[in-house]
Amino acid sequence: MTDTSLSTQESILTSTARDWSSDMTTFKGVPWGKAMMWIFLLSDTFIFTCFLVGYMVMRMTVTEAWPVASEVFALTVWGVSVPLLLIAIMTFILITSSGTMAMAVNMGYQRRKWAVFWLMLATALLGASFVGMQCFEWYKLIAEESIRPWGNPMGAPQFGSIFFMVTGFHGLHVSAGVVYLTIVAIRIVRGKYDHTNFEIVEIVGLYWHFVDLVWVFIFAFFYLW
Amino acid sequence: MATEGQQHPIKIYFLIWLLLFVFSFFSYLVDYLDLQGNLRWFLIVVFMLLKAGFIVAIFMHMKWERFALIFGILTPPLALVVLMFLMAIESDYAWSTRVVYMGEEVAKKPQPPAHHKKAEEGKDH
Amino acid sequence: MATVEVPYQETVPLHHPKTWIGKYIFSQDHKIIAVQYGITAMAVGLVALILSEFMRIQIAFPGWELMNFFTADHYYQAITMHGMIMVIYLLTAFLLGAFGNFCVPLMCGARDMVFPFVNMLSYWVYLLSVIILMVSYFVPGGPTGAGWTLYPPQTITAGTPGFDWGIATMLISLAVFIVAFTMGGLNYITTILQARTRGLTLMRMPLTVWGIFIATFLGLIAFPALFVSAVMMLLDNFLGTSFFMPAIVSLGQPLDYSGGQPLLFQHLFWFFGHPEVYIVALPAFGVISDLISVHARKNIFGYRMMVWAIVAIGALSLIVWAHHMYVAGMHPSFGFFFATTTLIIAVPTALKVYNWILTLWRANIRITVPMLFALAFVLTFIVGGITGLFLGNVIIDIPLSDTYFVVAHFHMVMGVSPILAIFGGIYHWYPKLTGRMLNDTIGRTHFYFTFIGTYAIYFPMHYLGFIGVPRRYYETAIADFYPVAAHNLNKFITIAALIVGVSQILFIYNLVHSYFNGKKAPANPWGANSLEWCTPETPPRHGNWEDRLPTVHRWAYDFGVPGEEKDHIPQTVPRRKAS
Repeated sequence: MTDTSLSTQESILTSTARDWSSDMTTFKGVPWGKAMMWIFLLSDTFIFTCFLVGYMVMRMTVTEAWPVASEVFALTVWGVSVPLLLIAIMTFILITSSGTMAMAVNMGYQRRKWAVFWLMLATALLGASFVGMQCFEWYKLIAEESIRPWGNPMGAPQFGSIFFMVTGFHGLHVSAGVVYLTIVAIRIVRGKYDHTNFEIVEIVGLYWHFVDLVWVFIFAFFYLW
Repeated sequence: MATEGQQHPIKIYFLIWLLLFVFSFFSYLVDYLDLQGNLRWFLIVVFMLLKAGFIVAIFMHMKWERFALIFGILTPPLALVVLMFLMAIESDYAWSTRVVYMGEEVAKKPQPPAHHKKAEEGKDH
Repeated sequence: MATVEVPYQETVPLHHPKTWIGKYIFSQDHKIIAVQYGITAMAVGLVALILSEFMRIQIAFPGWELMNFFTADHYYQAITMHGMIMVIYLLTAFLLGAFGNFCVPLMCGARDMVFPFVNMLSYWVYLLSVIILMVSYFVPGGPTGAGWTLYPPQTITAGTPGFDWGIATMLISLAVFIVAFTMGGLNYITTILQARTRGLTLMRMPLTVWGIFIATFLGLIAFPALFVSAVMMLLDNFLGTSFFMPAIVSLGQPLDYSGGQPLLFQHLFWFFGHPEVYIVALPAFGVISDLISVHARKNIFGYRMMVWAIVAIGALSLIVWAHHMYVAGMHPSFGFFFATTTLIIAVPTALKVYNWILTLWRANIRITVPMLFALAFVLTFIVGGITGLFLGNVIIDIPLSDTYFVVAHFHMVMGVSPILAIFGGIYHWYPKLTGRMLNDTIGRTHFYFTFIGTYAIYFPMHYLGFIGVPRRYYETAIADFYPVAAHNLNKFITIAALIVGVSQILFIYNLVHSYFNGKKAPANPWGANSLEWCTPETPPRHGNWEDRLPTVHRWAYDFGVPGEEKDHIPQTVPRRKAS
């Protein structure tokens, strides 16, 4: 572990004030790409939170009944209806992919290119399977439960609208992440980043963990609430 | 640019990985055991925030960043907290106008999905 | 970090394009991108100007035969397009796209933006959004006529012009613009935070950079709300969801919507919309601070106060949004909360005005053309700001809602003021950008036409508002509930507006003429201190600096320092050791 503070005796307040009042860089030791990714993720946080605030407003203002999530999202396995089974598997996959991504970042700073490549590819594959399962989930909701964006037989039409919109937007983020991961993984083994410290892996990792982070909120608010 | 990068023992990643599974399992359990009321909301939110916190702190390395960055990233979302609070108040008001002034009926019990209903009816006969 | 920190840009070579297209069309040079942004924004702004002239003629001379083609639908479409273009595609794009691109790397002592390719992409995506917006004039039904605030449900119900295709192009164009802005904005912020040169601390940055910095940051966290509401409205319109649409009867037919919340759109829109006001105002504040200080040959009064005022305005602007919605039917006690925050935000804003005036106090003022615009800005901003205090109070706002008083207020404060700042900035930086001076006589003529003309337009509107003339009415002549004086004033305003509109030709002529025939500009014609005037060449070439980036030793406001030989000391001059 590296000691990132200039001097260990300094209090956090002093070192922060020193960082913000220094010349050249404010975020000491942070590469440009990483700073940019963090600020982008901040902006993206505002997008997702606005979506979720929209969901909260819908849920609080409608006078029609709101469908019960655990029944809508139940999966029937061998004749037994298990609530949220598919979602549990999807969560499992996404958390696993976050784990492999974290390992890839670690390998990156050890400059083990092929390990990074395989770990990132595994992450991308897990992400792709997540998107695939989401497609299956959507298919099930549309074909079997006849939930449409404009209405559903169980109650408030906003249920389907907001669900498809937010999970769709999250799914788009995952898909974009899969493409991003694949491109960076290939460029790494081709030696495009050999002159750097492989911080690109950490930057991709930030994006990927953010996608996972959003899923944590979606899981809690849409499936459990 | 001098960048040391974020290098930490792999052990901690495995630990967090495991913790995320545990928390997910617990929040799943909340639903499975069909806990209701304030306890349910409380547990869901606590597990959600714990998971989110660990992802940001460990996986995204926020814990090891200098405070200048932490401060810069974590303060602006306070605006979102304001938005959320005000919108909650506003929605509550909108709901009450719908019910009180426009006399819309409040559906208390949500309807189960159509085929579930059929299955239950089938059982009765 | 044991090693001495070196500006990263000094260690990496810049990619120099070989072809003409690479240098001037798909250019990654921030100065060229700034010019591209500027020209596109001005072109689209000209369209908005012409639309406003059509509206003014219609208001003053209804029933004029030449104006027969201009129907009520056209009028509402013109209102919408005028508002949206001016706020987003001209002001935001010009102040952040053009000034931001030009000033940020030069004033930070950087070679270029941190990611020049993304910066280039930002311009081309912006151009795409402008094209999509203009396409809306050619889709069936024409552009949307819902007013620039695009409030549902009327925006997407039959009867409003362009309720299907027009609104679609508008919303898609906005979404594309947000993508472009995000790419540019991330660049500005990262450049300011991570790519400053030696010695340039945040508290030595010129206020222009501070204004652009906070405005960009506000943009990055406010535009998402607009993006979200645009997506939801598109879904409402094309997929039949009911986010914003309540159960509603339109043209005698009940529509398929139920249970939506129209106020959610207004809240999201203004959660973006109010910061947007400051996205436009803060860079203008910054530019004006620099202009006043340079041309009054005096350091800006209370530099630190000015910086913290910008930061405080930025933070507060995120919690004042619903003062645009006092009559919308929101929660009754919100008025109190938002009126309070609105009056609080007036404090840092007033601080800035005091500081500008105190900078001018006993200064060696040079009435150059940029200075004229800067002084006009301060005056206009005071007028617009004070009417803002009226409208920020619920009880005064309610009778004044949707009257010409509101129109006068927001045109003064965020129409005319930023435009004056843009003009001032162009007259100030044109010599550095092109290497030629703008023609002084034409500049002064342009200034007086614009300044006096805009007052002739917007001052009488306050009176119109007080006597209750409503805004957004296609035909006011048949309304006999307000006096003849109002009709005469409307005619006067329209004639003034036409004169102001035509006089802008002077400006464009000046820009083009001086580019070829203007006097050769010296490296530092105004005697300014900030880094952009210290470049080795004028205009600065690609890469801006020699092998070594400049070193900053002081703030940008050392004018008339007692005991110094010259009246100004550039930022690169080392401080004398205390003897």
